[in-house]
Amino acid sequence: MAVAAKPLPGAHAREHRSHEEHLREQHLMLDPMPRGEMNAMVMDSMHTTSWKFWAVFIFLSIVVAVCLFGAWGYMIAQGLGVAGVNRPSYWGIFLVNTVFWIGISHAGTFISAILRVFKAEFRRPFTRAAELMTTFGLVQAGFSIFMHMGRVWLAYWLFPYPNQRQLWPNLHSPLSWDLLAITTYLLSSTMYLFLPLIPDLAMARDRSTGWRKTFFKILALGFRGTEGEWTHLRNAMNIFAFAIIPVMFSVHTIVSWDFAAATRPGWSSTIFGPYFVIGALHSGMGAVVMVLAVIRATMKNMKYFIRPEHFEAIGKLMLIISMGWAYFFFNDYMVQWYGGDQWTKQLLHWHEAGPMGWMWFAMLVFNIAIPWAILWNKKWRSSPWLVFGVGLFINVGMWFERYIIIPISLTINRMPFTWRLYEPGIEIPLSIGTLSLFVLLYMAASRLIPLVPVWEVQEGQMAHSLKKFGRETVVTVSDLE
Amino acid sequence: MADKSTFLALFSDLEPAADAIERLRALGLGDADMNVISGIPVTEGMLGRPRQWTNVPRLALGGATGGFLFGAFLAFGTPNLYPVFVGGQGLLPGPPSVVVLFEMTMLGMLIATFVGVFLDSFFPSYSPKEYVREISDGKIAVLFSCPADAQKEIVEAVRKSGAESVEPAEAQPL
Repeated sequence: MAVAAKPLPGAHAREHRSHEEHLREQHLMLDPMPRGEMNAMVMDSMHTTSWKFWAVFIFLSIVVAVCLFGAWGYMIAQGLGVAGVNRPSYWGIFLVNTVFWIGISHAGTFISAILRVFKAEFRRPFTRAAELMTTFGLVQAGFSIFMHMGRVWLAYWLFPYPNQRQLWPNLHSPLSWDLLAITTYLLSSTMYLFLPLIPDLAMARDRSTGWRKTFFKILALGFRGTEGEWTHLRNAMNIFAFAIIPVMFSVHTIVSWDFAAATRPGWSSTIFGPYFVIGALHSGMGAVVMVLAVIRATMKNMKYFIRPEHFEAIGKLMLIISMGWAYFFFNDYMVQWYGGDQWTKQLLHWHEAGPMGWMWFAMLVFNIAIPWAILWNKKWRSSPWLVFGVGLFINVGMWFERYIIIPISLTINRMPFTWRLYEPGIEIPLSIGTLSLFVLLYMAASRLIPLVPVWEVQEGQMAHSLKKFGRETVVTVSDLE
Repeated sequence: MADKSTFLALFSDLEPAADAIERLRALGLGDADMNVISGIPVTEGMLGRPRQWTNVPRLALGGATGGFLFGAFLAFGTPNLYPVFVGGQGLLPGPPSVVVLFEMTMLGMLIATFVGVFLDSFFPSYSPKEYVREISDGKIAVLFSCPADAQKEIVEAVRKSGAESVEPAEAQPL
């Protein structure tokens, strides 16, 4: 017997309305609010500080004073002997941290430049949060290199100028390329952070009084938002977005050449360049979600700007990057394993079955198994704290990876009588110090500059709308640029 | 030359602002007599304005050239200033020079792009300017100069096109 389906009166219209409401609730770009209110929310988030903020700030300041500057001063006074670096592992945690922080710095450019070039709209509210990570991450990388130098007061010898004998530094050495690449990247990423910040600084200037007004007035440079100012700014941002991408790739590739250009077992690999770049993106994206989850949870009004949709989108990127990292890791491993060189075989065996073998397996679990197990599920990767956890595991896993590549791999060489396991000394407090300085700088910046690029969010909201295709309501985006 | 007065008209939307610009043009004002100030980038096409000239891409190109030349000096010049031959190797290896040339070219280009924004926009400039705070709250301002004898008619036309306010523009500290 045929049964005729009888729809409830008004059911479709109700369903349609709730679908629209759901879309607006989900997507920041479909949930606009008056610009004045949005400005007020961002200013409010900067000005609201609880006692917890100051407690953490003071604690971290003490940690930085003791663990970073205190320990560094001690090391300068005593010499590099207080660090664990010794034959055969002359490169230790200082360089692990350098590579790690340069890796973290890749996220800012990836999110801000690559996603801007491809017009990925979900990037809008958190480009600045990611760009800040780039700048502050590079500061920590710079500190780590200076620590590694030991006699840091002679760091200027690296700069391209002649000594008393008119002899210039050897610019054909990978270490000189490091200086050029990291300096280029630090300057470029700082300029790229500043340019889109100018309109928001002008907004903050218009809403501030006292010392803050003076501060924002100086930094806003007299910006009003005339047609000419916007044109120059947008042109410059487009040039930066395209040009900074190859710079980003070059930086970590050159860092990888510090290792790959040597003929050591485990290091001499032609795939190290892209392997390092994908590793940098892996840890960088993990760090971005961690920062976003903390900002969202601790800063006022940030739940409006940073929503589960953003974690979901970054989660997808993290999953793809994790797959890419696994591919490059296996490719590097496979070729070295197949090569059959006796020292490389010894090294690979040492990685897996040596006293630090647990680190090698943890690296694989943290960088591959955990991201794959969690990020495939849309609901899970939309959960800020779950994605935060994945990001934390990835960063620990990527730090382990650099530890395995540098001091652990240096243990095995072609002279077995020199084999000795690296044991860090003062490097541990110094690492805690650099991590604390990164968080401290970020906390200070979160109260001094608008973390959300308000004008970019509003521009995105102007471009988005809902459109009906038949009975279905879908999100559409117009290209306003 | 007739005296000119400057006015600042505020709009809450793009459409009336574009209408006002059309009316101003119809009343004889040239594009050089108008400027649009906004809190978000509004393209010239949206308001029917002529394309803005910018020197930023040219400066970027100049910076890239300068950077390349500096890179060439570092890569090829400095080894020749005090030649040190090591182990029979060449003084000027190719691939490492590419790295130096690339980094310096990019640095030159990006610094010139950054400086270009400052030069083209006359930044920093802290002198008083015609501006109101409502602009960063989302309003669109049309700043126009008109002959004093026609100002009544022109201001009325701008009001009719949907301006929320049309006031004499006064330069004030930002």
